[in-house]
Amino acid sequence: MRFVTEPIVKIRALTKIYAQGEIQVTALDHITLDIAAGEFLSLMGPSGSGKSTLLHIIAGVDRPTSGECLVQGVDVTKLNESQLADWRNQNVGFIFQTFNLIPVLTAAENVELPLLLTRLTRAQRRKQVETALEVVGLADRAKHLPRQLSGGQEQRVAIARALVTDPALIVADEPTGNLDSHSAQEVLSALQSLRRDAGKTIIMVTHDPKAAAFGTRQIHLEKGELSQ
Amino acid sequence: MTIPTFILKNALRNKRRALLSISSVAVSLFLLVTLQVALRELTIPPQSAGAELRVAVRNKISLTNPLPARQRGIIEKIPGVEAVTPFTWFGGKYKNEGGMSFAQFAMDADKLRSVFGEAKMDMDGYEKFNATKDACVLGKITADKYHLKVGDHITLDSTVYPGSLTFTIAGIYAGTPDDRNMLFRQDYLDESIGEPGYVGMWWLKVKSANDMAPVIKAVNAAFQNSAAEVRAESERNFQLGFISMLGNIKTLIASISTVVVFTLVLVTASTMSMAVRERFRELAILKALGFRRREMFAFILAESFGLAVTGAALGIGGAYCLYTFGDIGKLTAGIFVSFEVTPRIMGFAALVAAVLGIVSAVAPSLSVARMSVVNGLKTLD
Repeated sequence: MRFVTEPIVKIRALTKIYAQGEIQVTALDHITLDIAAGEFLSLMGPSGSGKSTLLHIIAGVDRPTSGECLVQGVDVTKLNESQLADWRNQNVGFIFQTFNLIPVLTAAENVELPLLLTRLTRAQRRKQVETALEVVGLADRAKHLPRQLSGGQEQRVAIARALVTDPALIVADEPTGNLDSHSAQEVLSALQSLRRDAGKTIIMVTHDPKAAAFGTRQIHLEKGELSQ
Repeated sequence: MTIPTFILKNALRNKRRALLSISSVAVSLFLLVTLQVALRELTIPPQSAGAELRVAVRNKISLTNPLPARQRGIIEKIPGVEAVTPFTWFGGKYKNEGGMSFAQFAMDADKLRSVFGEAKMDMDGYEKFNATKDACVLGKITADKYHLKVGDHITLDSTVYPGSLTFTIAGIYAGTPDDRNMLFRQDYLDESIGEPGYVGMWWLKVKSANDMAPVIKAVNAAFQNSAAEVRAESERNFQLGFISMLGNIKTLIASISTVVVFTLVLVTASTMSMAVRERFRELAILKALGFRRREMFAFILAESFGLAVTGAALGIGGAYCLYTFGDIGKLTAGIFVSFEVTPRIMGFAALVAAVLGIVSAVAPSLSVARMSVVNGLKTLD
């Protein structure tokens, strides 16, 4: 597949080596990859293949040992800690396997969290939160605490939190790993509609071929190397 | 939601722990304030209204050495001296109490109003004290403690002089910083012990503040090279002489205060560390969402500071209310008559709380700052 536009993610010779005592483990070995804007990329591979490491580097929460990772033209490997935090807040939405909502905050408050770092007024924040919850079909659960929601609903709240800042890129690390098949279907459909209706670029790490099938492209990692 | 709401919700997520932490800070600061007030009361005793015009004259060798009664005539003639009274320690034990319950001093009845004018009682009390040889006047605190009233007789066994004396209460005074003493007549004591011609010490009243220094100088000079040299000094200096004997108590209280503060730091730091440790994964998520180190530090600091300040408000406020509106005499079994929580002490305790809040936030903040998002996220799965 050839892209006519500049890819949103451009990875060149990306290598990540972990030092575990005296042993060095190569998690990513000279990966080169382009991801187009609006793509729903399913990143597959066995445990320890380096897929989460690749996702973390793209999302700016980990640094490679060498190589380049440009997201929307910005080389995230060159940003310092503080710049990276700002960049993540404005450009990346995170979805985790275990939802990771703050238990003492309501669904709406959890969704509002990334907006606390912006200059938006309280009314503007509230409006964006309402919109995000409506997108995932949970407007009526805004005042519920995470423990009052089902697993699928919790993950949809997490999706709302990921998209509330309107980031170009959404990264999802095993988003259906803790869900039953019905809830997984709901979450994957929500991600699919984000790509289709809102033009978001989604990178999803998954073990599940059925989940991967929701993506527009699937790539496989094996021992730190790509095998598309 | 606002940032303060978020911090508050986090701080109160484990209500029992928050309550216990606040309580431990409150109790510790209450104790710290109490110790500081006690230290202040011991080292800076309250000033009597007439203190600036009073001079204490004691034997230069020691307070326990008596002075010849004949010194009175010489002292009275010194310019600037308005009144002179002997003041002799009796050391009496009341009833069968093991130690001395309250201090008793012999003095001239007719000098009570002029030398210790702040001791107020009704006119009848002064008249009876002047007219009756075995009369005594009793401080209100002691009278209340033993349920004694005017007209009652009390017998004291002296630990200084042989035998015991019985007194008739002529009046009950109040208005001095320490309304516990008993005052009785020097002539009654002299008569009962065979006119020895000695007194314990002298209290002088000078005519004006300007007379203080010349009178002190003149009194000291008057008995220089005599068999009973004296040390004349202002009431303030006389009190400070007593206080210098409390050196070890001061050190002890200062040591206990230090231990209290140190323990408090450990308890609060441990609480904050626990609170942060159990939220490590959430803090990693916040970092991933874009919160920076300084914001994480602000969250932890605000929470720690909030706990410390709330505890401080309760502890310092509680101490202030108790010692300001409570009956100190009863609370301290008569050991202290005044227990003033000064703004300086409250400020010191508040400062301790503020430092505590900051210090307690340092260790957890450092561990959060060092935590990489990936390592934090790894704890999730």
